[in-house]
Amino acid sequence: MAKRIIYPLYQLGNPQLRIFRPTFNLTLVRPGKEQPPDTVQFRIPMEMTKFDVRNYLEKIYSVPVAAVRTRIQYCTNKKRNHSNQRVKRPDYKVAYVQLAQQQTFQFPDIFPEKDKKHEEGSVEEMQEKFMEDERQRQKSDPRRGGVTEWFGL
Amino acid sequence: MFCCSYILLSDRWRCTLPFIVSSDIVKMAAAVTSRLTAAVCRQFQRVVTVSSHTQSQYAAQASSKFHSCQRRRMYDSWWFRSALNDRALHTSCVRKGLEDFFDLPENWGEQTVKSGAPWTAKQLRVKSNEDLHKLWYVFLKEKNMLLTLEQEAKRQRLPMPSPERLKKVERSIMRLDTVVKEREDSLRLLQTGQERGRPGEWRRNVFGKTFWYRFREHPIPWYLNSRYKRRRFFEPSHVAPYTRLSLEKYLRSKIRKETRENRNQKRLAAMFPKKTALASDH
Repeated sequence: MAKRIIYPLYQLGNPQLRIFRPTFNLTLVRPGKEQPPDTVQFRIPMEMTKFDVRNYLEKIYSVPVAAVRTRIQYCTNKKRNHSNQRVKRPDYKVAYVQLAQQQTFQFPDIFPEKDKKHEEGSVEEMQEKFMEDERQRQKSDPRRGGVTEWFGL
Repeated sequence: MFCCSYILLSDRWRCTLPFIVSSDIVKMAAAVTSRLTAAVCRQFQRVVTVSSHTQSQYAAQASSKFHSCQRRRMYDSWWFRSALNDRALHTSCVRKGLEDFFDLPENWGEQTVKSGAPWTAKQLRVKSNEDLHKLWYVFLKEKNMLLTLEQEAKRQRLPMPSPERLKKVERSIMRLDTVVKEREDSLRLLQTGQERGRPGEWRRNVFGKTFWYRFREHPIPWYLNSRYKRRRFFEPSHVAPYTRLSLEKYLRSKIRKETRENRNQKRLAAMFPKKTALASDH
C-alpha cells in the first residue's frame, strides 16, 4: 500500500475515505523534554494528519484521545560521509497526544537491570565461571596490601 | 473492491476493526459484539482503576492491569508459525491500549526474545479474508511495538533484543499484501475483465520512449490544466531518428545475445556429443 499511494480525489460532499489496511506505523518515544503526565509522544509518518492519528489510536488501540498536536522535525543535511558527500538524516513528524478521561502515561523503563542465573551445565554458565577465574588470577596478591608489584619483594 | 464483512465476529476476538465498510448487517453485528465485549470488559474496568493526575507510576499500574485483565490463549491456528513470539496473545479489549506499544513485561531487559518463523504466502493463502484482515492489524501492532523498542534502545544506547523480528514482520506484511492483491486481481478479472485496477494507457514521451501512463484523478479537464499541458506526450520530429537508432541498437543486442547462445551450445555439443552419453548408458 505504501509505495506511491494515490488517494481518491476529495471534493466537498464526497463520502469519508476509509482505508482497509493502513501501512502507517506509530513509534512511541520517550520525550526529550519534560511533558505533562497525560501527554504521549509519537513519531508518525509525514503523510499522517492529526485526524489520522486520532482515528488510528482510537480504533486500533482504543486509546481515548483528547487532543493531538503535530510538528515536523527537520534533520540535518550537513553531515558528510567518507567521500565528502552530504548525508541527509531523514525528517520525521512528531505527534503529542493528550489522553482523555484524565488518564496519565509514564514512559516505562524497558531495559531494567536483570541478574541472570544461568542453568547448570550450560555454555553460558561455564563461560561465566571461566571469566570469574581469569579475573581472580589477574588480581594482585591481597597480602601485599595494595602495593604494586613493580617493586622487588 | 475488496470488502470484508464482520458478520462472523466472535466475541473472543474483539479486534478493534477501524475502517470497515459500513453496511447495516455489519453495523448491527458490530453493535451486538461491541455490547457483548463492553459488558465483558466492564468487569475488567471495575478491577482496573482509572489513573488520576497525581503520581501513578506506569509500572505499578501495568502490573495491576496485567494481572487483572485475563490473558486469553488463542487457538493454535492463529499462532501457527506466526512471526511473533510464542507468548499468549492478549485480545485488545477496552483497556488503556498503550501497553500494546510495549512487549510483555517478562521480556523487558532480556538479551534475546524468541520468535517463530515469518508467515509464508502459501500459509496466508489458506486464510479467509476476515482472518487476513485481522492478521494485518496483528502485524501492524507488532511492528509498532518493535519500532518503539528499537527507538528506545537507540535512546538508551543498548542493543535491541532480537532485531530480526522486524524483518520477519515486514516480510509477513509484504506477503499478506501480495496475497490480498492476488485475490483482488482475480476478482476484478472475473467480474470485469480489467487487468489493472488503475486505468492507464501507452503513451510516448518527449524522448521517444513508450511507457505506461497511469491516470490520476483531477477536478478539472486536461485542457484547463496548464501544468499537464506542459508535459508533452508526443515525440518531436527531431527526436524520431534517435528512436529508430535506439530500436536498432536494442534489436542488434538481442540478436547478438541469441547468436552467442547458439554458438556456445554448438561448442558444447561438439565437446560433449550425445552419442558418447548414450553409449556410456548402454
